[in-house]
Amino acid sequence: MKGIERIISISVTFGILFIFWILLSAHFDAFHLVAGAVCAMLVAVISHDLLFTKPVRGGILTLLHFTHYCGWLFLEIWLAGLDVAYRVLHPDLPIDPQVVTFDTPFSDDIVRTVFANSMTLTPGTITIDVIGSTYTVHALTSEAARDLTEGRSIEKRVHRIFPET
Amino acid sequence: MIGFFSLVTAILIAMGLFFMIVGPIGLIRLPDLFTRAHASGKCDTLGQALILLGLIVYEGFTFDAVKLLMLIIFLYVMSPTATHAIVRAAHILKYHAWKPGEERE
Repeated sequence: MKGIERIISISVTFGILFIFWILLSAHFDAFHLVAGAVCAMLVAVISHDLLFTKPVRGGILTLLHFTHYCGWLFLEIWLAGLDVAYRVLHPDLPIDPQVVTFDTPFSDDIVRTVFANSMTLTPGTITIDVIGSTYTVHALTSEAARDLTEGRSIEKRVHRIFPET
Repeated sequence: MIGFFSLVTAILIAMGLFFMIVGPIGLIRLPDLFTRAHASGKCDTLGQALILLGLIVYEGFTFDAVKLLMLIIFLYVMSPTATHAIVRAAHILKYHAWKPGEERE
């Protein structure tokens, strides 16, 4: 990464960090703003390549898909909590836990992380281990296990926000 | 007379407390480490988020509310990761996963 790309990367990182600083400090006097700008610039120059490891494509469309995905995830977290609460409070404890191992087509580290964390937040499943693109998952019920290997609803969702991987 | 926002706050915090109580009940009732991770991982995340959401409603549109919102986002990244770290350690140590019909621990 060099030239114009580097400048864009640094300035976007600086912008995000500076906004973050303002939100956290909530002071608008000269001292706090200048201190924030200096800190944000320093961090941006040193570590801008951590935020953008490669040129960002897609732009608006990816952002839209991501927003949609966050909404869906929020709903799933609700369902997950209610599902666990129902099973825990049910007198018969209706669980059928099993460990499932399955393959996914994801090659990018960020996509793999998003997928693993989404799985832990959605009803009935917890990610145990990830080796390459092979996931080991603990499912609380056999329905949840079947969805992972056959329905693959979470996988399709993640695929929609990151179509290139 | 209780204001509308105070009422919403009370409802959200009450729902959060419900999930925070269900988490520990799950820890006691469920049979092994992996299933217990389900209870603590999911119920606690939802409970904490609901309580923080209640506080955001109470606070209104201020900088403190933004900080609480960031706390929720942080929790949603941190909680699955912590759960994952615990169950992965158990998996590496060849911890036996409970199956239906077996004696509970």
